[in-house]
Amino acid sequence: MKTMKETPTANTIPQKRGVFGTLIQALEYAATGDTGLNFYSRGCQLDSVLTYADLQKDAVIMARKLLGLGLSPGTRFALCAETDPDFVRFFFACHYAGLVPVPLSTAIHMGGKDAFIKRLRGYLAASGATAAMASENLYPLLKEAASGIGLVYSGTPAAFDLLPVADLPLRAPSPNDIAYVQFTSGSTRFPRGVIVTHRAVMANIAGITQHGLNVGPEDRCVSWLPFYHDMGLVGFLLSPMAAQLTVDYLKTQNFIMRPGLWPALITRNKGTISYAPVFGYALCVQRLKASECPSFDLTSWRVAGVGAEMIRPDILHRFADKFSSCGFKRESFVASYGMAECALAVSFAPLGQGLETDRIENEIFMERGLALSSRNGTRAKEFVLCGFPLPGHEIEIRDEWGRAVPERTCGILHVRGPSIMSGYLDNLDETSNVLDRNGWLNTGDIAYMADGQIVVTGRKKDLIIVNGRNIWPQDLELLAEDIPGVHPQDAVAFSVSGTLGEEVILLVQCRILEEQKQAASIKELTSRIYEEFGIYCTVECVPPHSLPKTSSGKLSRSRARERYLRNLRDKRSLTEVTYSQESCLVT
Amino acid sequence: MGNLTMADYQKILHRTRSILAGFAKTRMSVKAEEINEHTEITKDLGLDSLQVMEVVTEIEDAFDITFPVSDLFEIRTVRDLVLRIQHILEE
Repeated sequence: MKTMKETPTANTIPQKRGVFGTLIQALEYAATGDTGLNFYSRGCQLDSVLTYADLQKDAVIMARKLLGLGLSPGTRFALCAETDPDFVRFFFACHYAGLVPVPLSTAIHMGGKDAFIKRLRGYLAASGATAAMASENLYPLLKEAASGIGLVYSGTPAAFDLLPVADLPLRAPSPNDIAYVQFTSGSTRFPRGVIVTHRAVMANIAGITQHGLNVGPEDRCVSWLPFYHDMGLVGFLLSPMAAQLTVDYLKTQNFIMRPGLWPALITRNKGTISYAPVFGYALCVQRLKASECPSFDLTSWRVAGVGAEMIRPDILHRFADKFSSCGFKRESFVASYGMAECALAVSFAPLGQGLETDRIENEIFMERGLALSSRNGTRAKEFVLCGFPLPGHEIEIRDEWGRAVPERTCGILHVRGPSIMSGYLDNLDETSNVLDRNGWLNTGDIAYMADGQIVVTGRKKDLIIVNGRNIWPQDLELLAEDIPGVHPQDAVAFSVSGTLGEEVILLVQCRILEEQKQAASIKELTSRIYEEFGIYCTVECVPPHSLPKTSSGKLSRSRARERYLRNLRDKRSLTEVTYSQESCLVT
Repeated sequence: MGNLTMADYQKILHRTRSILAGFAKTRMSVKAEEINEHTEITKDLGLDSLQVMEVVTEIEDAFDITFPVSDLFEIRTVRDLVLRIQHILEE
C-alpha cells in the first residue's frame, strides 16, 4: 500500500468548469489531473483517498464486472449511499455499464431498524431497481428489505468485487441518458424519484461552478452532506469533480456527533467552499465551546453556503459572532435556493456580500400577499434574499390562477431552464402536476421577487423541513391514523419556528377519553414518528371535530397552525414568534 | 476501564442515567431518578435524532469508547444501551 496522502488543492491541468457533455466526460478529464476525494474519520484523520484518476480506473473495472450480470441498459441500480469511496466508485461504474444509479438514504435512527427496512423496501419498489449495493454494515438490512422484491443481484462492495470481469464493450452515456434518480423530494409513503439527465445536471453544474460559486483553481471543498441528498451529491461530489476540485469529506453522523470536526477540517486543509442547511450552523453555535474556537482558522472559507431549508439570519449571525475570532467572515455567507427537481441550484446570492435581508410590512404581507418595504421596524417581517437565477433559467411567480404576478407580490415560484428534471420516475400523474408542456416547473414554493432576486417566504405547500430534511405532513398524519380510535381526517401536522429550528406539531382528534390510555397512545405515536423520521414531534390530543376545515371539507393545516400559534401566544403571552414562516395568503 | 464484570453493569447504568437526565430535561422534564433500565430513550425522554447522537458522543467520551452508529438500530431502552456499552468495553 502507498502511504496515504490527501489530494492537493492545486492541480496540474487547466481548470474546466462543467463544460462537458456527460459526467463521464467530466470524470475522464478530471482523471488526467492530481485532485480527488479525501475521506476523514471521526478523529479528523485521513481514512481513505480516491484521486479522480483512481476513481475513473476503478469505475471502469467495476463496470466490466457489472456488465457481466447481463443487466439491460437503463436498469436501475440502488446504492445505499454512505460517505465512502465505494459509493462514488459504484455511482460512476453504473454510468460506464449503462445503468442508472439510484442513491438511497442510509440515515440511522435509534431503535429504527424495522422502520429503516420498511423505508428501504419502499424506495426499492418505487425505483424499480433490479440490483442493489450496501456496505457490509447495512447489507443484512438491504437483504431483508429486498426479500420478495425481485432483485436480480444485491451485494456488498466486496461481493461485487469478486465478480468476473466481462469482456463486453462499455456503454458510456450520451447527454440525454439518465444520470441518476434522486429520492429526496417525495414522502416516505409515496416516494418520488426525480429523473435527471447528464445534460440537465451538467447544465446545473456549469451554472454552479461558473456563476453561482465562480470557482477557481485555488478552491477546495469540504462537505459532511450525505450523498443521497441533492446538495451532497450534486453540490459536493459532481460539481467539484466536474471542475477538477479536491473535496474533503466527513460522514454526516460524525459531524452531528462532533460538530467541531467541520471547522477543524476546513482549518486543516484550508478549505474554501462548504455548504450546510441552517441546522449545521446551529449545531456549531450550540455545541462548540468557546475554548475550542482558538484552534480553528477559518480565514480560507470563501463560500459559506446556506440552503435546503428556510434561512434563519439570526442563527447565522450567531455563528458569525462565535467564529469571527477564528477568521470567519460573515461576508462569506451565500444564501441559495434550489431543489432536486432542478438538479440542485436555482439561484445564488451575490458572492462576498453576506446575507442580505428584505424587511417588509407584515400586515400587508399577511393580508394581501404584498411585500412592501417596511419603513418602521416594529411590525416588519424579515426574509433573506436568495439571489439571482442561474443564467439560462427563468423565474415566474404566479398566482393561484396561473397568472404571472409583478415584483413584490407573493405567489408560487415557477422555474424553467436547462437543469430541470425530466420528470418523476414511473409517475406521469405527479410529473404532469408539476411540469407543464412549455417546460415550466411548479416548485410549489411561495416566493416573491425583489429587484430580480428570489425571496422565498414558505416552502412547498405544508412541507415540513427539519434539520435539512423534507418531511411530508401526510406521512405523520397517516401514522396517527394507525392508533385505535383515530380515523382518517383526524390528524394534522405542521411545523412552527422555535428558538433553534423548526418544531413539529401533530394534532390528533382523539376519542380516547381515559387520560392514561391517551398518554400511552401519544407516547406510542411519538416513538413511531421518531423511529421513522428521527424527529421529536409534539403530539397533542384535541377533541373530536375541533380541527379547522377548508371549504371543501378537508382539514386545513395552515389554519390549524395559525390557531395553534395563537393559543401558544396567549398561553405564554409571547410577543412575536421570531421569523415565523407564515406564508402569505396565496394558497 | 480494563476488565469489567457484571458488577460494573450498575456503574455503567449509573453513569448513563446521569448523561440521559441532562438531555431529558429539555422536553419532558424527567428527573434522573425517574430514569430506569426500562425507560425507552426516545419515547420516554423525547430525544430527537440530533440529541441521540449527542448522547452517543457523551457516552463515547465518558467511557472512552467508539460506539458504532449502526448499533443504535436495535437499542430502545436504557438497559439495551448499557448492555451495548458493556459489550464494547469488554471487547
